[in-house]
Amino acid sequence: MHDQNKLWRIALYGVLLYAAVYYLLPLYVMVTTSVKSMDEIRAGNLIALPMSITFDAWTKAWATACTGVDCNGLSGYFWNSVKMVIPAVLISTSLGALNGYVLSKWRFKGSELTFALILFGVFIPFQVVLLPMAQTLGWFGLARSVAGLIFVHVVFGIASTTLFFRNYYVGIPDELIKAARLDGAGFWRIFFKVVLPMSTPIVMVVLIWQFTQIWNDFLFGVVFSSGDSQPITVGLNNLANTSTSVKEYNVDMAAAIIAALPTIVVYVLAGKYFVRGLTAGAVKG
Amino acid sequence: MGALAIKNVTKRFGDTHILKGIDIHIDAGQFLILVGPSGCGKSTLMNIIAGLEAPTSGEVQIGERVVNDVAPKDRDIAMVFQSYALYPTMNVRQNIAFGMETRGVPRKEQEETITRVSKMLQIDHLLDRKPGQLSGGQRQRVAMGRALARNPTLFLFDEPLSNLDAKLRVEMRTEIKQLHHRLKTTIVYVTHDQIEAMTLGDRIAVMKDGVIQQFGSPEEIYERPANLFVAGFIGSPSMNFIDCHLAEQGGDVGISLQSEGGVRFVPLLDGRRFADRLGQKVILGVRPEQIEVAEEGEPALECKVHLTEPTGPDTMIFTQINGKEVIARVHPRAAGRPGDSMRLKLDVRKVVLFDPQTEARLN
Ligand SMILES: Nc1ncnc2c1ncn2[C@@H]1O[C@H](COP(=O)(O)OP(=O)(O)OP(=O)(O)O)[C@@H](O)[C@H]1O
Ligand SMILES: [Mg+2]
Repeated sequence: MHDQNKLWRIALYGVLLYAAVYYLLPLYVMVTTSVKSMDEIRAGNLIALPMSITFDAWTKAWATACTGVDCNGLSGYFWNSVKMVIPAVLISTSLGALNGYVLSKWRFKGSELTFALILFGVFIPFQVVLLPMAQTLGWFGLARSVAGLIFVHVVFGIASTTLFFRNYYVGIPDELIKAARLDGAGFWRIFFKVVLPMSTPIVMVVLIWQFTQIWNDFLFGVVFSSGDSQPITVGLNNLANTSTSVKEYNVDMAAAIIAALPTIVVYVLAGKYFVRGLTAGAVKG
Repeated sequence: MGALAIKNVTKRFGDTHILKGIDIHIDAGQFLILVGPSGCGKSTLMNIIAGLEAPTSGEVQIGERVVNDVAPKDRDIAMVFQSYALYPTMNVRQNIAFGMETRGVPRKEQEETITRVSKMLQIDHLLDRKPGQLSGGQRQRVAMGRALARNPTLFLFDEPLSNLDAKLRVEMRTEIKQLHHRLKTTIVYVTHDQIEAMTLGDRIAVMKDGVIQQFGSPEEIYERPANLFVAGFIGSPSMNFIDCHLAEQGGDVGISLQSEGGVRFVPLLDGRRFADRLGQKVILGVRPEQIEVAEEGEPALECKVHLTEPTGPDTMIFTQINGKEVIARVHPRAAGRPGDSMRLKLDVRKVVLFDPQTEARLN
């Protein structure tokens, strides 16, 4: 009995270890490769530790690597992404919170239908809207600009942020809203003083969710932006596809890590809220 | 002076009629109880009084003012909810102050009110705690404190005690009654607990299916229930209902009751009133304490004791009359043991008769 238990544990840890290595190995290869010199890469073995550490590839990826005809590295793209992702995340999260608040606590005739239609937005494939969206951006004069990208991401994000907030707010008892109304609070005061302070877990979930979605988006970035408004994902693609005489693996790896770093940082800093927030609704019933 | 008047109020949600013409008038300072089974529309009526929901038709008047078009916050009311509805992210002090802040009450006055209210309810040591750190009874007090801070002309309580355990419920019931004596503010109080209804109310409205079955003082409701429903709902243990026929014997109109010891004719007080119903079926309603142990030599029903339930001050005797199980409440010393025979009599001055078809009271 005891032995069997032990055996089972060993097997379990074995599987877990294998899975961990399986997922960590690419990251390991990326990191080590990015700090090796090209000579070492050519000579050595893919998974060997670097003999000497150099950050040349990183500085090159950041500042001087060629992405098409320009050779200014990823820095410009990176800041484009930052300029795009911060407003897009904040706006789509705020609108989602407001929508969720209205659809759960201030129901009106047709609010269920409205929610169903918004929900529909979660399932629309991006490709379907590319052409109409390009046309719309043209009309608004937002084509090929960071503002246009922000607009697209906000419009697309609203569906899922609304869904998240609405489902969370359904769990807040209606009597709380009634009590606040009797206390004389109106729509906004109830939202800011009663509902929003209770929303920390779901706000965290939505912020992380939206940040990851928007930062990692490639399709909208490549279609709706050009030149100096392109986001990091497009920059990375350009960098990797620009043909140079030799393929600089260390630069490619450093660039890929730079592109992925913000989402990793966000998840590490706020990840515990993410798990907590996803289960919070369930616990409250 | 009228404090609250509800005039022919109806409420529909889509096709379902929840309230079907409610009429209630109470005077200032009265304690009105709305009592009825779950789902009969008590909370809906309460929300209409509070203005949280609009009536489909009818009029609500608070004081001298028709408030149909007045916002909840301007109705000069305060409400205590069943779930307490305390703001979870605010501490007790902030919970109590929230309404005053919204209304722009000066800070100094807020402080005074919080001190007064929290002293009165003995929650002054809890002011810095969040609702999550309070026990059920403490939350209940805070919810009342929030209402008291408002100093309204009308208090609304929606089942405020139903989430408390039995002992605390009894304590809080007494406290609410004392509070009412002290403040003399008009209170509307929803409950489905008939003991709460009887002990607290000046006026009781018994509701069922969106209709007021009876509206009156606790004594009226208890002694002269308007129909079978009210009779069965109020009182614990419930009133006994015995099927019988009206008969005439020696010039008296009465009913015959059959127990395991034989048949007896029991003349009714003022029985001639039912002369036109002779031979018809009626339902006799008799409360457990209205079945008494007969004195030596008095005419009585010989009843076999099936089961006894001692409660301390009284003992419940389970027996059978006209084929129905009947409960009698007697003094423990007079109670027989299961299997014994007891001589019981009805207090005919108090028994009530119901029409089996309309279920309305006849006498
Ligand atoms: N918004 C609504 N839409 C449709 N039906 C409703 C709505 N609110 C309440 N009802 C229905 O109205 C009826 C009465 O509800 P209400 O909450 O007033 O009952 P209650 O007497 O307070 O019951 P309880 O003692 O369980 O609190 C119920 O059948 C309920 O399902
Ligand atoms: Mg209710």
